[in-house]
Amino acid sequence: MLFDLDRLTYQYERLTALDDLSLSIPEGSRIALLGANGSGKSTLLRILDGLHFPNSGEVRFRGELLTEDRFGDDEFAFSFRRQVGLVFQNPDVQLFNPTVFDEVAFGPLQLRWPRSEVRERVGDILDRLRIAHLKDRVPHRLSGGEKKRVALASVLVLDPAVLLLDEPTASLDPRSQSQLIDLLVEWGGGAKSVIVATHDLGDLEDIADRCCVLDCGRLVAERSPADVLCDRELLERTNLVHAHRHRHAGELHSHPHVHRE
Amino acid sequence: MSVRRGFIERTVEGLYEAMEHALHAEQSAGTAGLLQKLDARVKVAGILSLIVAAVLSHRLWVIVSIFAGAVALALLSRVSLATLASRVWIGAFAFTGPIAVPAIFLTPGEAIYRVPAIAWPVTMQGLTTAALLLARVETAATLTLLLVFTTRWNHVLKALRIFRVPVVFVVILGMTCRYILLMLETAHEMFESRRSRTVGALSGVERRRMTVSTAGVLLSRTSQLSGDVYLAMQSRGFRGEVYVLDDFRMNRLDWSAVAAFVALAGWAVWAGR
Amino acid sequence: MHIPDGYLSPATCAVMYTGAAPFWYVALRRVRKALHTRLVPRLSLFAAFSFVIMMFNLPLPGGTTGHAVGIGIATVVLGPWAAMLAVSIAIVIQALFFGDGGITAIGANCFNMAIVGALVSYAMYRLLAGRSSIESPRRVMAAGLAGYAAINVSALLAAIEFGIQPALYHTASGAPLYCPYGLGVAIPAMMLGHLTIAGFAEFFVSAGVVAFLQKSDPSLLGEAGPQSAPASHAFPLWATLGVLLVLTPLGILAAGSAWGEWSAADYANPAVRQQIAASTFHQAPPAQVPAGLERLSSLWTAPFASYAPPYIRSAAFGYLLSAMFGAGLVTLACAGVSKFAR
Repeated sequence: MLFDLDRLTYQYERLTALDDLSLSIPEGSRIALLGANGSGKSTLLRILDGLHFPNSGEVRFRGELLTEDRFGDDEFAFSFRRQVGLVFQNPDVQLFNPTVFDEVAFGPLQLRWPRSEVRERVGDILDRLRIAHLKDRVPHRLSGGEKKRVALASVLVLDPAVLLLDEPTASLDPRSQSQLIDLLVEWGGGAKSVIVATHDLGDLEDIADRCCVLDCGRLVAERSPADVLCDRELLERTNLVHAHRHRHAGELHSHPHVHRE
Repeated sequence: MSVRRGFIERTVEGLYEAMEHALHAEQSAGTAGLLQKLDARVKVAGILSLIVAAVLSHRLWVIVSIFAGAVALALLSRVSLATLASRVWIGAFAFTGPIAVPAIFLTPGEAIYRVPAIAWPVTMQGLTTAALLLARVETAATLTLLLVFTTRWNHVLKALRIFRVPVVFVVILGMTCRYILLMLETAHEMFESRRSRTVGALSGVERRRMTVSTAGVLLSRTSQLSGDVYLAMQSRGFRGEVYVLDDFRMNRLDWSAVAAFVALAGWAVWAGR
Repeated sequence: MHIPDGYLSPATCAVMYTGAAPFWYVALRRVRKALHTRLVPRLSLFAAFSFVIMMFNLPLPGGTTGHAVGIGIATVVLGPWAAMLAVSIAIVIQALFFGDGGITAIGANCFNMAIVGALVSYAMYRLLAGRSSIESPRRVMAAGLAGYAAINVSALLAAIEFGIQPALYHTASGAPLYCPYGLGVAIPAMMLGHLTIAGFAEFFVSAGVVAFLQKSDPSLLGEAGPQSAPASHAFPLWATLGVLLVLTPLGILAAGSAWGEWSAADYANPAVRQQIAASTFHQAPPAQVPAGLERLSSLWTAPFASYAPPYIRSAAFGYLLSAMFGAGLVTLACAGVSKFAR
């Protein structure tokens, strides 16, 4: 079992972000975490990445319990960081090195790979993501789509077994969005696992085999994408779609829909 | 620049100029001039030694020689006189002028000339002082600009390591540069949006209040960002040590440059004592 | 109040770097212990914040500009050592990349604004805030006043560093080599602008931001409170010591020597005799040196006679070195005694 979550509760600043959540994620999964803003998706991803630790309950990665103490051990920490990678929603948070090359090299260097291997791997991943021409550029001056690709590269360079993504298509133009989806589909083959947090229902069937729907920090449903998309009541209840009246060619009606940003 | 610039305008302008300065430095460092080819460590140590030599010197002609050398280096490194003038000389004079010029009249000594009608005495000592002050400031500022304009700033940071600057410091310094740029963008956005909503000049109280709330919001976003950044660094394996991709290798040109810097600085210190 | 290159003599610059170094060392050690916590990115962000605050230049009478430093708020949120480091880094970046403040003057600028600023700000804040709750208005006032005090002490130090230049460093013909204005001009010129405009700016930034944070994110305000930093009782003392150290050269400028501290040779010196008389209700000193005084005064020849080792030519520099050396000796001695006594 890749991840085992048992009755997780996580609170910060007087808010309960996750409430008694239990979930099992097998190896090789492609999962979408669905939920409106504030439903706890980001927090869950961070807990899966060993950045936050639950107030109560357990989280296990391949049988290993994830606790703050455990991460005090260098060997375990390096091994985990290599196997699990998280791409944050806001790339600016993740881009803090002076050039794109340095940025992508940051991870491998932290994990103390030999320098020659670092250079080789970085060059490789830049080519694969088609951003080699950006390697000397300053990351924060890039366009939104380019930043996302750099952020992705900086995580993929470690060749993780698990890729966690927080709202990857948010604030991207349509072309960049589809390029990113293609990339994810391409990469997520075989034994690799992908867990995507999103509230965008558009590309759900492409990127996921299973959907976990969150609402106010609780897991309210766990189904296939097709099932979720058909369940209008669920979608409205969890604020993933809404319905209001509007006009089509002079006639007033309503149906559930989603506004794209 | 119009005389009656609003507070908001001026602040935004200042912020933008700072950003532009940083951007220009990055662009210039990429061109193919003399200094750009040198190892960053050589440049940091060499230029620093020239600045110290200029500050140590008691003789005007020595300082001016260093200045001339700096200008020559600038031209060889595709940094134009116009750039130097607009980014260094004018600014440095604007600051130092009001301090140096009165010294011409105020410094006690033998008067060699009296300004007609107001009979202010111009003393030899005053002229010497003003000249020394101005020369030193302009020389040091020119050299500093040369260093920054011909070196990628992350190389400057790495080169600082040769002075045994602790790794911790280099990490923080590098991250701070990044966040300064980010914060300038945010502050600029905030000012722009306020500008579009403000009509007419602001009173003193309003200006103060705006500064304070801007600072507060900036800080709030700052704090949010810092938490997330820390998580992102950890997520990629940061554990309190920093490893940098060190690219520095000395070639023949670098060694010649070392020799040249040592000779020039050494001569300047000896001649100017 | 950033000091550019060329305004301070190399000797002064060197002294200021020497003065700043131990504080930097301690600050770095402390920060390194907290390296894997969120202190590093937070520190960088406050350095960036301080940098941006310092860009808001306010025009002062006399053509120069003043600005808030952000030391007040940095100290409240980060504590004195991290704040010291944060503002130092902002100053270094300003000097290197934006030409604001000289490279040789980094030591002086950091000492004035970052180090002494942080210590004064912290001492004042702790003193004034007392044990009031994190959300109380007293803390707001305390932060504001702490910032105000800090920036004025910084300005005073800068003025002193400027002001002693012409007296100490000049060519043979009397032309000042560095800053041309003595204390009589430097101090009023700098203090006027900082006691008013720049000082108020710092006050409002410190107070205003603390007030803002009390509502939006009070967890940030805990660092400099009474429950943190166990060894903090010593801070006001260290701060005072530091400030006094730097002010010692002023002693030279007071005319004449202290009452009662005349050496045997002074009795024969007519100029000193006049001083003695003037300070002793106009009673003339005895014509001959008292015999006992003469015998005993040659008993011990101090290594640093008159506070100036012979190989240091500048009186003030020698004075300052002696002060630092003396303070260091006293501290070591006290530390030694306290360890022994434990």
